[in-house]
Amino acid sequence: MSNNRHITIFHGPQHPGITGNMSIELDLIGETIQRATTHVGYLHRGFEKLVERRTVIQAFTIVCRICVPEPDPNEINFAMAVEELAGLEVSDRATYIRTMVLELSRLAAQCLWLSGQSGSIGLYAVGQWAMADRDLILDLFEELTGGRVYHMYIYPGGVRRDLPEGFLDRVQKVLSHFKKRLKEYDDIFINNASFKARAKGVGVIDRDDCIKNGYVGQVVRGCGIEADVRRDRPYLIYDKLDFEIPTQDGGDVYARALVRRAEMDQSIYILEQLIADMPKGEIMTKIPTHRKFKLPKDDTWVSVESARGEFSYYMAGDGSEHIRRMQVRGPSLVHAFTLLEDMLVGAELSDVALIMNSLGICPPEIER
Amino acid sequence: MYSEIKNRFATSDVEVKRDDLAKVVVDRHRLFDLISMLGREYGYITLSAITCTDWIEDDHFVLSYMLVREDRKHNMMIQSMIGRDEPHIESLVGSFKQAQIMERDLHEMYGIDFVGNDNLVELSLENWIYTPPLRREFDTLEFVNNHLTFRDGRDDNMDVKKEMKRLRALKKAQKEAAKKAKEESSDVKQ
Repeated sequence: MSNNRHITIFHGPQHPGITGNMSIELDLIGETIQRATTHVGYLHRGFEKLVERRTVIQAFTIVCRICVPEPDPNEINFAMAVEELAGLEVSDRATYIRTMVLELSRLAAQCLWLSGQSGSIGLYAVGQWAMADRDLILDLFEELTGGRVYHMYIYPGGVRRDLPEGFLDRVQKVLSHFKKRLKEYDDIFINNASFKARAKGVGVIDRDDCIKNGYVGQVVRGCGIEADVRRDRPYLIYDKLDFEIPTQDGGDVYARALVRRAEMDQSIYILEQLIADMPKGEIMTKIPTHRKFKLPKDDTWVSVESARGEFSYYMAGDGSEHIRRMQVRGPSLVHAFTLLEDMLVGAELSDVALIMNSLGICPPEIER
Repeated sequence: MYSEIKNRFATSDVEVKRDDLAKVVVDRHRLFDLISMLGREYGYITLSAITCTDWIEDDHFVLSYMLVREDRKHNMMIQSMIGRDEPHIESLVGSFKQAQIMERDLHEMYGIDFVGNDNLVELSLENWIYTPPLRREFDTLEFVNNHLTFRDGRDDNMDVKKEMKRLRALKKAQKEAAKKAKEESSDVKQ
């Protein structure tokens, strides 16, 4: 220390290369990281505690706020857990609409990733394009749900509002735009020589650690493992849909980028199937008013595949109109601590933002 | 598998919740034997989460360990109870690396000591000296009233109850005026 070879710096919490409010304490020799320690606590809002003091339906309105870039997996997990405990059935049309919302949400979240990942190496034009394209999906959400980011739409028992007239045509129009646009992203970002040079061989994950250590999403699929909740433990109507689980063998930042890019194609393909097959019918099951909505003394565990990997909820009822316990398990807790702290050792300082973006870490969901 | 669990771990509390989820409740002293047996013999090699539920009225916590099978097609929820007074249980860090952060989280939120986990330091809550906040006896509103101050808000800040009352009265008056106007116009026509 005395010869000033070691320095300690904080990367974040206010830093463009941090995906939200968290910081990484880095011990460096020159540009090389010797030790990395993740620090959170900048946005602990106590959602899990708040949920326990509200009625079930009151709790529904806040769960979407747990993850800003991708709120809908929270809504669907909450709804599925409540429905399972309360024994509610959901209509076919509501199930299709839910699946459509989740795939649109996945596409929007991948745009946000594209923006962050390209920005992390200074390719800002890609980021601007991706944010503008994400806005097209947010326009659809605004029309359907009334909210651009937080939708509060996937209600226990169904969905809150039916599709507006001509909505599916407008979804198709946006998808057609994306089909053209994604080829341009390939040209300016995925096949960009500087991105390849920066991303290949960086942030490499050992395939053998992936499953055992609880890593999920593109981290696992980037190591060649076909892990996806939509296929492994299908929910909604994913067992009736035709889609592929893209994988890559590299295990590095570039492999994860290729997986994400291929997943955008798959989301479009899924959405087109949903548009073609959208059934008619009711969108909501009759449920008790919020003061009389009670959950039995029982518990469950539900999981969905978010744009960043497996996203799960534990929920326990106690016979009252309050939820006794709800725990959120997103991909970020393990990725930001178990994985990131190890992975950064030996990496260069300039690669921290690049690696962090590739793991899909969302700090709000760590602190809940 | 379920009958073997019942026989070997002396529990009748095995519940198949869904095709992809089962729950087993075991004595806390047999918990880690069961988790290791499920990993060794049935391929439940991933620890996905550890959760805690506070049953204050029964004076215990229920810890749930979520395991995922190697083919990722099945989840197993293993539950054990521990007392609320000086709660402690053995750590799973030796078997699962990710248990480190999960146990650290529960230590902070419930005050549970995971014996063998040497990094149970603060996570989200800085310099927290009060009751662990997810324990049922922690009252959020009381804590806020005792420890935080409310901002005055804007000068035109309105009392919500008064304003709602005023708006309701206004709406009612408008409705009555419209009704009266309608009656008067029908009288003129007659």
